[in-house]
Amino acid sequence: MGNRHAQFPDEIYLLHILHNIGAIDPGRALALEEIARWASMEPRRAEENLNKLIGEGYAEIKVVSGAKRYYVTANGIRKVLSIYS
Amino acid sequence: MDICILTWEYPPRIVGGISRHCEGLARSLAKMGHNTHIVTLEFPGAPLYEENEGVKIHRTLIELGHPNFIVWTFLFNHFMEKKIAELSRREKIDIIHAHDWLVAPAGISSKHYLKIPLVATVHSTEVGRSYGLHNPDSYLIDGIEWWLTYESERVIVTSSAMRKEVEEHFHLPSEKIDVIPNAIDASKYEVNVDRSAVKRRFGIHSHEKIILFIGRLVPQKGVEYLIRAAPKIIEQHPESRIVIVGDGWIKDQLWSLAASIGCQHKITFLGFVSDQDLIELTLSSDVLVVPSIYEPFGIVALEGMAAGIPVVASDVGGLAEIVEHDKTGFLAYRENPDSIAWGVNKILSDPGYASWLVQNAKRKIREVYSWEAVARKTIEVYKKALGE
Repeated sequence: MGNRHAQFPDEIYLLHILHNIGAIDPGRALALEEIARWASMEPRRAEENLNKLIGEGYAEIKVVSGAKRYYVTANGIRKVLSIYS
Repeated sequence: MDICILTWEYPPRIVGGISRHCEGLARSLAKMGHNTHIVTLEFPGAPLYEENEGVKIHRTLIELGHPNFIVWTFLFNHFMEKKIAELSRREKIDIIHAHDWLVAPAGISSKHYLKIPLVATVHSTEVGRSYGLHNPDSYLIDGIEWWLTYESERVIVTSSAMRKEVEEHFHLPSEKIDVIPNAIDASKYEVNVDRSAVKRRFGIHSHEKIILFIGRLVPQKGVEYLIRAAPKIIEQHPESRIVIVGDGWIKDQLWSLAASIGCQHKITFLGFVSDQDLIELTLSSDVLVVPSIYEPFGIVALEGMAAGIPVVASDVGGLAEIVEHDKTGFLAYRENPDSIAWGVNKILSDPGYASWLVQNAKRKIREVYSWEAVARKTIEVYKKALGE
């Protein structure tokens, strides 16, 4: 694993957190505030990074009662696991 | 025999070579009549239980998570243990076979409470993947790897290079280790493809020659050396295009490198592609490059050899055992873009040489790297572990 975490871009660090806390399908999607708390990241910065991940196809949004919830896609899971394999 | 294989990845959860390895092994064991269970992790869209080609696949739901990867690993191992315990109440299990440190805790605890032998396959080591141990996580993973080899009745590795690494690093008795190579299903490449149509589908001109890389975009795969070789390849063969299949955490760095040497217009990053696309893309390629700087086995080289594509591989680990220089492929010096460019240019310039490599490679695949052979050898190891 070396010093990989230190080299991660912000959004990959967030993707890795999102994966490890189990937001890996629409049923387990999490709200921005929860994700920001888990990642110890400002909500605005977390949202920017989540938008980058969505743009790359590594995360998706599910809207529940008008509120956005985020989860990792299959390609996002593979991206995270490539760090450790 | 009743076999329970533990792996953190199994199709469609495909990260590295372990997933393919476990699938090939499990299917062949089932075909030989052995009752074969796979206990693995959940994946979106995949059922928690299914039978596929005789293999019983049990996917474990990870009910709790944690941001720290090591904590997450121990958590999913706990849920795997529950799955194995539940399975053992319904089915007989003779042997547990764990693949790599990621499933070590579940393998070791199952061995003790079921009172059956544990066999481990060590596909790679932390010290090899990370070029040494540099932080607490690495030290812990190294410790878990040692623990797995210590607790296992037999340890399987996929190459002689890995045997030496495991024997020396973990101080393991030589007689406890068995070398069983990886294998592939060569029949999947026995299809005709319209190369021009395949190239068009991926935005590649039909006249362009594809220099293919397949793998995770992580430092150990050495993709940067292929990118650094690009100017010398393009200079001699302007119709070349480097196509990179796979993803990983250094993708952006690689893209920046390609831009900094002015080759971004000649390099295509495709990300993950489907199995079918990968087969068609491989069959449409002119050279496969495997520039790894650490490679315990190197199954991608076998894929290229089976597909009839000349292979340029770096002279490291298992790759140096699969590829015989100037006979079944071209061995380039490690971390050496000039050497990679030399091999690629030689293959592109000399069709007779390329054809000679391909014929020899296909013969070697047929004779040595079949899943039937691997499954037979694995059963022999299980018998040794069971004291038969």
